[in-house]
Amino acid sequence: MNLDDELRAALQREDPSPGFTQRVLAARMVAHAQSKPARKAAVPRLFWATAMAAMLVIGLAGLSEYRQKKAERAGHEAVLALRIAAEKLNMARDKVVRREN
Amino acid sequence: MLTQAVAANVSEAMTDDPDQFAELVREHQAMVFSMACRYLRNPALAEEIAQDVFLQLYRKLPALESPDHVLHWLRWVTAHRLIDHSRQEKRRPQSPLEDAPEPAAPSRDADPLLADMLRELVAALPENARVVMILRYQEDLDPMDIAQALDMPIATVKSHLQRSLAILRDKLSRRKGVGV
Repeated sequence: MNLDDELRAALQREDPSPGFTQRVLAARMVAHAQSKPARKAAVPRLFWATAMAAMLVIGLAGLSEYRQKKAERAGHEAVLALRIAAEKLNMARDKVVRREN
Repeated sequence: MLTQAVAANVSEAMTDDPDQFAELVREHQAMVFSMACRYLRNPALAEEIAQDVFLQLYRKLPALESPDHVLHWLRWVTAHRLIDHSRQEKRRPQSPLEDAPEPAAPSRDADPLLADMLRELVAALPENARVVMILRYQEDLDPMDIAQALDMPIATVKSHLQRSLAILRDKLSRRKGVGV
Protein backbone atom coordinates (compact mmCIF):
# COMPACT_ATOMS: atom_id res chain seq x y z
CA MET A 1 0.00 0.00 0.00
CA ASN A 2 1.30 3.45 -0.88
CA LEU A 3 0.39 5.92 1.84
CA ASP A 4 0.52 8.91 -0.52
CA ASP A 5 -2.01 7.29 -2.85
CA GLU A 6 -4.20 6.17 0.01
CA LEU A 7 -4.19 9.70 1.42
CA ARG A 8 -5.09 11.17 -1.97
CA ALA A 9 -7.97 8.73 -2.26
CA ALA A 10 -9.14 9.36 1.30
CA LEU A 11 -8.93 13.15 1.04
CA GLN A 12 -10.35 13.62 -2.43
CA ARG A 13 -12.85 16.41 -2.87
CA GLU A 14 -16.52 15.82 -2.30
CA ASP A 15 -19.55 18.00 -2.93
CA PRO A 16 -21.61 19.54 -0.13
CA SER A 17 -25.22 18.45 0.29
CA PRO A 18 -27.71 19.28 -2.51
CA GLY A 19 -28.97 22.84 -2.44
CA PHE A 20 -25.75 24.29 -1.05
CA THR A 21 -25.41 26.80 -3.93
CA GLN A 22 -29.01 27.94 -3.42
CA ARG A 23 -28.43 28.38 0.30
CA VAL A 24 -25.33 30.50 -0.39
CA LEU A 25 -27.30 32.60 -2.90
CA ALA A 26 -30.12 33.08 -0.38
CA ALA A 27 -27.60 34.20 2.24
CA ARG A 28 -26.07 36.49 -0.38
CA MET A 29 -29.49 38.06 -1.03
CA VAL A 30 -29.87 38.72 2.69
CA ALA A 31 -26.39 40.25 2.85
CA HIS A 32 -27.18 42.32 -0.25
CA ALA A 33 -30.45 43.57 1.28
CA GLN A 34 -28.69 44.45 4.52
CA SER A 35 -26.11 46.49 2.64
CA LYS A 36 -28.85 48.52 0.84
CA PRO A 37 -29.75 50.83 3.78
CA ALA A 38 -26.15 52.03 3.70
CA ARG A 39 -26.60 52.94 0.05
CA LYS A 40 -29.92 54.65 0.81
CA ALA A 41 -28.26 56.63 3.59
CA ALA A 42 -25.87 58.04 1.01
CA VAL A 43 -28.79 59.60 -0.92
CA PRO A 44 -30.03 61.92 1.89
CA ARG A 45 -26.43 63.01 2.52
CA LEU A 46 -26.11 63.95 -1.16
CA PHE A 47 -29.53 65.62 -1.06
CA TRP A 48 -28.66 67.75 1.98
CA ALA A 49 -25.26 68.68 0.56
CA THR A 50 -26.92 69.85 -2.69
CA ALA A 51 -29.63 71.72 -0.81
CA MET A 52 -27.08 73.52 1.37
CA ALA A 53 -24.97 74.44 -1.66
CA ALA A 54 -28.07 75.80 -3.41
CA MET A 55 -29.03 77.87 -0.35
CA LEU A 56 -25.51 79.27 -0.15
CA VAL A 57 -25.60 80.31 -3.82
CA ILE A 58 -29.04 81.90 -3.41
CA GLY A 59 -27.87 83.73 -0.27
CA LEU A 60 -24.75 85.09 -1.98
CA ALA A 61 -26.80 86.19 -5.01
CA GLY A 62 -29.29 87.97 -2.70
CA LEU A 63 -26.49 89.74 -0.84
CA SER A 64 -24.93 90.87 -4.10
CA GLU A 65 -28.31 92.21 -5.33
CA TYR A 66 -28.89 94.03 -2.02
CA ARG A 67 -25.46 95.71 -2.19
CA GLN A 68 -26.04 96.78 -5.80
CA LYS A 69 -29.43 98.32 -4.98
CA LYS A 70 -27.97 100.06 -1.95
CA ALA A 71 -25.24 101.59 -4.12
CA GLU A 72 -27.79 102.75 -6.71
CA ARG A 73 -29.95 104.32 -4.00
CA ALA A 74 -26.91 106.11 -2.53
CA GLY A 75 -26.09 107.43 -6.01
CA HIS A 76 -29.63 108.77 -6.49
CA GLU A 77 -29.54 110.42 -3.05
CA ALA A 78 -26.20 112.05 -3.87
CA VAL A 79 -27.58 113.44 -7.15
CA LEU A 80 -30.66 114.74 -5.31
CA ALA A 81 -28.44 116.38 -2.67
CA LEU A 82 -26.37 118.06 -5.38
CA ARG A 83 -29.53 119.36 -7.08
CA ILE A 84 -30.85 120.78 -3.80
CA ALA A 85 -27.48 122.37 -3.09
CA ALA A 86 -27.42 123.86 -6.61
CA GLU A 87 -30.92 125.30 -6.17
CA LYS A 88 -29.94 126.82 -2.82
CA LEU A 89 -26.87 128.40 -4.39
CA ASN A 90 -28.98 129.79 -7.25
CA MET A 91 -31.44 131.31 -4.76
CA ALA A 92 -28.58 132.87 -2.78
CA ARG A 93 -27.02 134.25 -5.94
CA ASP A 94 -30.40 135.76 -7.02
CA LYS A 95 -30.77 137.50 -3.62
CA VAL A 96 -27.26 138.94 -3.85
CA VAL A 97 -27.91 140.21 -7.40
CA ARG A 98 -31.21 141.80 -6.31
CA ARG A 99 -29.57 143.69 -3.38
CA GLU A 100 -26.82 145.02 -5.61
CA ASN A 101 -29.40 146.39 -8.04
CA MET B 1 -4.05 38.25 -18.43
CA LEU B 2 -6.80 40.69 -17.63
CA THR B 3 -6.04 44.32 -17.15
CA GLN B 4 -7.08 45.78 -13.83
CA ALA B 5 -9.89 47.81 -15.39
CA VAL B 6 -11.34 44.83 -17.24
CA ALA B 7 -10.90 42.63 -14.17
CA ALA B 8 -12.67 45.21 -12.06
CA ASN B 9 -15.58 45.20 -14.51
CA VAL B 10 -15.68 41.40 -14.47
CA SER B 11 -15.68 41.38 -10.67
CA GLU B 12 -18.37 44.05 -10.59
CA ALA B 13 -20.50 42.06 -13.00
CA MET B 14 -20.04 38.94 -10.88
CA THR B 15 -21.03 40.85 -7.76
CA ASP B 16 -24.18 42.20 -9.38
CA ASP B 17 -25.11 39.10 -11.37
CA PRO B 18 -26.46 36.25 -9.19
CA ASP B 19 -26.00 33.71 -12.00
CA GLN B 20 -22.30 34.44 -12.35
CA PHE B 21 -21.80 34.35 -8.61
CA ALA B 22 -23.70 31.03 -8.47
CA GLU B 23 -21.37 29.68 -11.16
CA LEU B 24 -18.39 30.74 -9.07
CA VAL B 25 -19.85 28.98 -6.01
CA ARG B 26 -20.50 25.79 -7.99
CA GLU B 27 -16.95 25.84 -9.34
CA HIS B 28 -15.29 26.06 -5.93
CA GLN B 29 -17.78 24.60 -3.45
CA ALA B 30 -16.28 21.11 -3.50
CA MET B 31 -12.83 22.48 -2.66
CA VAL B 32 -13.98 24.75 0.16
CA PHE B 33 -16.45 22.25 1.63
CA SER B 34 -13.99 19.33 1.43
CA MET B 35 -11.22 21.32 3.11
CA ALA B 36 -13.60 22.20 5.94
CA CYS B 37 -15.05 18.70 6.14
CA ARG B 38 -11.63 16.97 6.25
CA TYR B 39 -10.42 19.46 8.82
CA LEU B 40 -13.48 19.40 11.10
CA ARG B 41 -14.92 15.92 10.46
CA ASN B 42 -18.34 17.57 10.78
CA PRO B 43 -20.25 18.03 7.48
CA ALA B 44 -22.89 20.37 8.93
CA LEU B 45 -20.30 22.69 10.47
CA ALA B 46 -18.20 22.40 7.31
CA GLU B 47 -21.15 23.61 5.20
CA GLU B 48 -21.74 26.49 7.60
CA ILE B 49 -18.11 27.60 7.36
CA ALA B 50 -18.06 27.09 3.58
CA GLN B 51 -21.14 29.30 3.30
CA ASP B 52 -19.45 32.02 5.36
CA VAL B 53 -16.37 31.80 3.17
CA PHE B 54 -18.48 32.33 0.03
CA LEU B 55 -20.29 35.29 1.59
CA GLN B 56 -16.89 36.74 2.40
CA LEU B 57 -15.93 36.08 -1.23
CA TYR B 58 -19.04 37.96 -2.39
CA ARG B 59 -17.98 41.04 -0.42
CA LYS B 60 -14.35 40.72 -1.53
CA LEU B 61 -15.06 39.99 -5.19
CA PRO B 62 -14.55 43.55 -6.55
CA ALA B 63 -10.96 43.43 -5.27
CA LEU B 64 -10.09 40.07 -6.85
CA GLU B 65 -8.45 40.42 -10.22
CA SER B 66 -8.60 37.03 -11.93
CA PRO B 67 -9.94 33.47 -11.57
CA ASP B 68 -6.52 32.39 -10.22
CA HIS B 69 -6.68 35.17 -7.66
CA VAL B 70 -10.13 33.93 -6.59
CA LEU B 71 -8.83 30.36 -6.21
CA HIS B 72 -5.80 31.38 -4.14
CA TRP B 73 -7.89 33.73 -2.02
CA LEU B 74 -10.44 30.99 -1.32
CA ARG B 75 -7.72 28.52 -0.26
CA TRP B 76 -6.06 31.11 1.97
CA VAL B 77 -9.29 32.27 3.63
CA THR B 78 -10.63 28.74 4.11
CA ALA B 79 -7.38 27.52 5.65
CA HIS B 80 -7.10 30.45 8.05
CA ARG B 81 -10.81 30.32 8.87
CA LEU B 82 -10.47 26.67 9.85
CA ILE B 83 -7.37 27.25 11.96
CA ASP B 84 -9.04 30.20 13.71
CA HIS B 85 -12.18 28.16 14.27
CA SER B 86 -10.39 25.28 15.94
CA ARG B 87 -8.35 27.68 18.10
CA GLN B 88 -11.51 29.42 19.26
CA GLU B 89 -13.32 26.17 19.86
CA LYS B 90 -13.36 25.98 23.65
CA ARG B 91 -15.88 23.22 24.06
CA ARG B 92 -13.84 20.68 22.15
CA PRO B 93 -10.49 20.33 23.89
CA GLN B 94 -7.65 19.35 21.57
CA SER B 95 -5.77 16.20 22.43
CA PRO B 96 -2.46 15.19 20.89
CA LEU B 97 -2.62 12.54 18.21
CA GLU B 98 -0.57 10.14 20.33
CA ASP B 99 -3.41 10.13 22.89
CA ALA B 100 -6.11 9.51 20.34
CA PRO B 101 -7.79 6.12 20.51
CA GLU B 102 -6.53 3.60 18.02
CA PRO B 103 -8.92 3.26 15.11
CA ALA B 104 -10.50 -0.10 14.43
CA ALA B 105 -8.29 -2.36 12.33
CA PRO B 106 -9.57 -2.56 8.77
CA SER B 107 -8.99 -5.55 6.55
CA ARG B 108 -6.68 -5.21 3.54
CA ASP B 109 -9.62 -5.21 1.15
CA ALA B 110 -11.67 -2.67 3.08
CA ASP B 111 -10.40 0.48 1.41
CA PRO B 112 -13.39 2.58 2.50
CA LEU B 113 -12.56 1.76 6.10
CA LEU B 114 -8.90 2.57 5.58
CA ALA B 115 -9.89 5.84 3.92
CA ASP B 116 -12.14 6.67 6.86
CA MET B 117 -9.36 5.81 9.29
CA LEU B 118 -6.93 8.07 7.40
CA ARG B 119 -9.45 10.92 7.45
CA GLU B 120 -9.87 10.43 11.17
CA LEU B 121 -6.11 10.44 11.77
CA VAL B 122 -5.63 13.53 9.61
CA ALA B 123 -8.43 15.31 11.48
CA ALA B 124 -6.64 14.56 14.76
CA LEU B 125 -3.40 16.23 13.66
CA PRO B 126 -2.46 19.64 15.12
CA GLU B 127 -4.09 22.60 13.34
CA ASN B 128 -1.30 23.74 11.03
CA ALA B 129 -0.17 20.21 10.19
CA ARG B 130 -3.78 19.28 9.40
CA VAL B 131 -4.22 22.13 6.92
CA VAL B 132 -0.86 21.35 5.32
CA MET B 133 -1.87 17.70 4.84
CA ILE B 134 -5.26 18.69 3.37
CA LEU B 135 -3.68 21.11 0.90
CA ARG B 136 -1.06 18.49 -0.02
CA TYR B 137 -3.35 15.50 -0.53
CA GLN B 138 -6.75 17.00 -1.27
CA GLU B 139 -5.62 19.96 -3.38
CA ASP B 140 -2.47 18.21 -4.63
CA LEU B 141 -0.35 21.31 -4.00
CA ASP B 142 3.41 20.99 -3.74
CA PRO B 143 5.19 22.27 -0.62
CA MET B 144 6.11 25.58 -2.30
CA ASP B 145 2.46 26.30 -3.19
CA ILE B 146 1.35 25.32 0.32
CA ALA B 147 3.94 27.67 1.81
CA GLN B 148 2.58 30.50 -0.36
CA ALA B 149 -1.04 29.65 0.40
CA LEU B 150 -0.46 29.68 4.15
CA ASP B 151 2.26 32.36 4.40
CA MET B 152 4.43 29.73 6.01
CA PRO B 153 8.17 28.99 5.51
CA ILE B 154 8.67 26.09 3.13
CA ALA B 155 10.89 24.34 5.68
CA THR B 156 7.97 24.39 8.13
CA VAL B 157 5.65 22.94 5.49
CA LYS B 158 8.09 20.11 4.74
CA SER B 159 8.56 19.49 8.44
CA HIS B 160 4.78 19.26 8.97
CA LEU B 161 4.46 16.85 6.06
CA GLN B 162 7.28 14.57 7.20
CA ARG B 163 6.17 14.52 10.82
CA SER B 164 2.50 13.96 9.94
CA LEU B 165 3.33 11.11 7.56
CA ALA B 166 5.55 9.51 10.19
CA ILE B 167 2.74 9.71 12.74
CA LEU B 168 0.21 8.27 10.29
CA ARG B 169 2.58 5.40 9.34
CA ASP B 170 3.19 4.66 12.99
CA LYS B 171 -0.52 4.65 13.81
CA LEU B 172 -1.36 2.49 10.84
CA SER B 173 1.50 0.03 11.36
CA ARG B 174 0.26 -0.68 14.86
CA ARG B 175 -2.85 -2.17 13.38
CA LYS B 176 -2.51 -5.73 12.35
CA GLY B 177 -2.97 -6.22 8.63
CA VAL B 178 -2.10 -2.69 7.60
CA GLY B 179 1.37 -2.47 6.16
CA VAL B 180 2.69 0.93 5.00
